[in-house]
Amino acid sequence: MAAVDAPVATVAEADAPRPRRAWVRKLSLWVPAGLTAFVFLACFLGPVVLPIPAPVGGNVLESSLPSFSPGHLLGTDPNGNDILSRILHGGRASLFVAVTVNVIGLAIGGLLGALSAYIGGKVDTVIMRLLDVLIAFPSLVLTLAVAQSLGPSLTNTIFALAFFSIPAVARVARAATLSLRELPFMTAAELAGTPWWRMLLRHIVPNIAPQLITFSMLGMGTVIVIEGALSFLGLGIPAPNPSWGNMISEGQASLSATPDLVIWPSLALFITVLAFNLLGEALRTQWSGR
Amino acid sequence: MTVAVERRTRNVTAALLASPSLRLVGKRLLMAIPITLGVSILTFWVLNLVPGSAAQQLLGVEATEEQVRALEREMGLDRPAWIRYLDWLGGAVTGDLGKSFVSDQQVTSLLGERLVVTFELVILAMVGSLVLAIPVALLAAYRPNRLFDRLSMVVSVSGLSVANYVLALVLVLIFAVQLGWFPAIGYVPFTEDPVENLRTMALPAAAIAFPLFCFYTRFLRGDLVDQLLGQDYIITAQAKGVGPWRVLIRHAFRNSSFGLITVVGLNLSTLIGATVIIEQIFAIPGLGQLMVQAINTRDMLVVQACVIVFAVVTVVANLVTDLLYAVLDPRIRYGSS
Repeated sequence: MAAVDAPVATVAEADAPRPRRAWVRKLSLWVPAGLTAFVFLACFLGPVVLPIPAPVGGNVLESSLPSFSPGHLLGTDPNGNDILSRILHGGRASLFVAVTVNVIGLAIGGLLGALSAYIGGKVDTVIMRLLDVLIAFPSLVLTLAVAQSLGPSLTNTIFALAFFSIPAVARVARAATLSLRELPFMTAAELAGTPWWRMLLRHIVPNIAPQLITFSMLGMGTVIVIEGALSFLGLGIPAPNPSWGNMISEGQASLSATPDLVIWPSLALFITVLAFNLLGEALRTQWSGR
Repeated sequence: MTVAVERRTRNVTAALLASPSLRLVGKRLLMAIPITLGVSILTFWVLNLVPGSAAQQLLGVEATEEQVRALEREMGLDRPAWIRYLDWLGGAVTGDLGKSFVSDQQVTSLLGERLVVTFELVILAMVGSLVLAIPVALLAAYRPNRLFDRLSMVVSVSGLSVANYVLALVLVLIFAVQLGWFPAIGYVPFTEDPVENLRTMALPAAAIAFPLFCFYTRFLRGDLVDQLLGQDYIITAQAKGVGPWRVLIRHAFRNSSFGLITVVGLNLSTLIGATVIIEQIFAIPGLGQLMVQAINTRDMLVVQACVIVFAVVTVVANLVTDLLYAVLDPRIRYGSS
């Protein structure tokens, strides 16, 4: 079901269809959408607009300040860096990784799955069996190996994660295309002599896009969590550059004395992943026609 | 009587062999071999993207070019990758996974002691999550959209958004640092002191189990409510005057349990992946910790072996899920669809 496996497993297939009042349904879409927008704005615009210090190169004299200190809203770490600033800059990296990985996964996985289903026969079997190999894998395990082999960096993290997001997307795209293939408009288009690439881009892709985008919302949360795990193990974004994973990992050493160092980045991680998960859920409910 | 039993067994066996789904499982069994091979090739390729660095790592930065070359020759790293792979594969099928570059121990003996520890962790997490999820889902589905149901949904949706390493640290903060009920890190073997062993395993198992508990609760509750709302056999049972709990458990849950088995099987690779980071946090000497250590020291044969073990366990678990499904579900067992 999920090739990119993570603590946050793909959310269950079945939820009870129950009549809901219109405003509840609207709220369940717009609240997570707003939350997601807020996270993006805070991370990408926040450090530009707000008067907060740089995330690295802090003053040692200001080290380990508690939360809500003047000038440092969430305090500072043992190196004197502002924690709020590190969270926002770390969030930039996480979101950038998540978006890039999902765009790559959607493009390659989506086309592969759609093509596989459209062509069918032997080609379909071969492509799907190859993807089975990747799906059979605890992906965090091989991502670790890839990250270590290529060396920890932002680009390598993206490559490793994108590689494992492809098979899951391809499966979703294939299933969606298979049910599409039987519809009359597809036959009509084929009889009109539409070339295969045009069939794919004009008829299949627009119709499976909603399903894929919904799936990738859930994928965003998964990628952010795995990226955090890589950084936590020291194989993601290299220090001193901030990421939520390496902030949590650094804070772990002094967990009992200064739990704030762990709590703030953890909270940021939780809110972001929750926003993406809820948004994915709401989109699915919306598009499944309820 | 024995004859009757025997005949019945034979009939079941015949039905099993004739059923199309069982043949599908047989095919899957054959598929498991190329999948495992594929995984091993992939791992080998990934680990060899940067050649020779194992020797470099062992000798340190100050080693001269000649020293590195000499050690590489000694370790057989100067041969082309595909020859080394075939060599490794030949050993692997006969149960020899080579020697660790770092500790010079046999990889298989290194794996053996670690595997038991990870196995215990996985079993504890899996059983714990199911034992909690089933009653919670039943209670939630008993009165859908009431307080308990809503509450359990809020908990499980937010629980699915918590990364397990964050959860692990929160658990340590509350139950080890504040309350002091459990040790924050460490491991005691079961054979040494069973009680202390369970105390050291409690927090790591909980950190792995909680997201799974949320996932299973959500899945099971959704499946139960779907059935209760519109399936004919439920309405029939209710019309006959069967009590609500009995309908829920005997008619709806029994049916949902097949889906649950599939979901548990599919989640096993997530569960196994989670042990890697959790063992690291709690300093538990399992397979995941061994792998992270080996990755950091570029002990390639050990990493390779760990990845293969993880992959094989996942493939086997998926197979067992398929088999269990085929054996338990009467529609599949008797091949009538």
